[in-house]
Amino acid sequence: MNLFRITKGTSAIAEERLKLILVQDRSLLPPAKFEQMKEDIVDIMSNYFDFNTADIVINIQRESKKTLLEAIIPVLSVKRKTR
Amino acid sequence: MGRTIVVTAGKGGVGKTTVTANLGALLTKLGNKVVVVDMDIGLRNLDVVMGLENRVVYNIMDVSDGKCKINQALVRDKTLPGLFLLPASQIHTKKDINIDKIVEIISIIENSFDYILLDSPAGIEKGFESASAPAKEALIVVTPDVSSVRDADRVIGILENRGILAISLIVNRYDINLVNRKKMLNADSVVDILGLDLIGMIPEDKSVIESTNKGELLVNYANGSPANKAFENISRRIEGEDVPFLNFNSQRRGIFSLFRRR
Repeated sequence: MNLFRITKGTSAIAEERLKLILVQDRSLLPPAKFEQMKEDIVDIMSNYFDFNTADIVINIQRESKKTLLEAIIPVLSVKRKTR
Repeated sequence: MGRTIVVTAGKGGVGKTTVTANLGALLTKLGNKVVVVDMDIGLRNLDVVMGLENRVVYNIMDVSDGKCKINQALVRDKTLPGLFLLPASQIHTKKDINIDKIVEIISIIENSFDYILLDSPAGIEKGFESASAPAKEALIVVTPDVSSVRDADRVIGILENRGILAISLIVNRYDINLVNRKKMLNADSVVDILGLDLIGMIPEDKSVIESTNKGELLVNYANGSPANKAFENISRRIEGEDVPFLNFNSQRRGIFSLFRRR
């Protein structure tokens, strides 16, 4: 037995797991649809801007009466030739 | 005009029925006229928890079907004048429920009682729907574990979408020793995760099981028990009194409540 072993309480694990689970539960789209939508947004935006796909953050949140879709796309440059 | 409050949880076995019975008792003790309604059609239990099973004649489905008047179905409590039970039917299923009729019955009862507590069945299907349809307020019962909290979150989302925004949280079977040893979710964490106002914590207390074994209300069986004290505090807070929280912790909304549920 190691008297000096520092253990993280299981309650903290429960809390972390719950937060992750609930973020998923609360998002309006199932994960597969969400990924599809993200790809679609990337496709359209890439016609106009250069950006790193990895930097894109997309959140869907429900506030009491309305649903908010937030997309954060750090733009590197504007494309010269837009279609 | 009485206040109609649904006691619900999502998950089964967290203590909805026990909470309904004992809160009903303590609200009565505070001088209110209270009716507790068993909305678990087909699986009634509130009568047994209160020790009133031998006095049940008619039930809410009989009222709904026009077989009797509301007054005939109400069962007077053995010990507390002012406390009444409206039992569920044992022979029907949730499919037989006419939600409009239930809403109508409850709105009539509201005229002659101060509090109507609706004991919801587990789940989010028709039984839950008919228990919450007449309610303007809700009490969510959770036990400090992942499945209960997750299910509660789902139920809260559904209630909010239906326009029930006065929702308070009861953390049941709270074991402060386990919490201090970081082996049980802290009530503050549960409040933070669910983004609701905490109205009380009920400690794990063997007198709760013993009182239900005997079919007695906690206020009669173990008046001085920690759980009964907690029920008393919750009923005072429901009445609008500012009762300080026992040696547990504060109630506040934390950062996680920024992520709103659907």
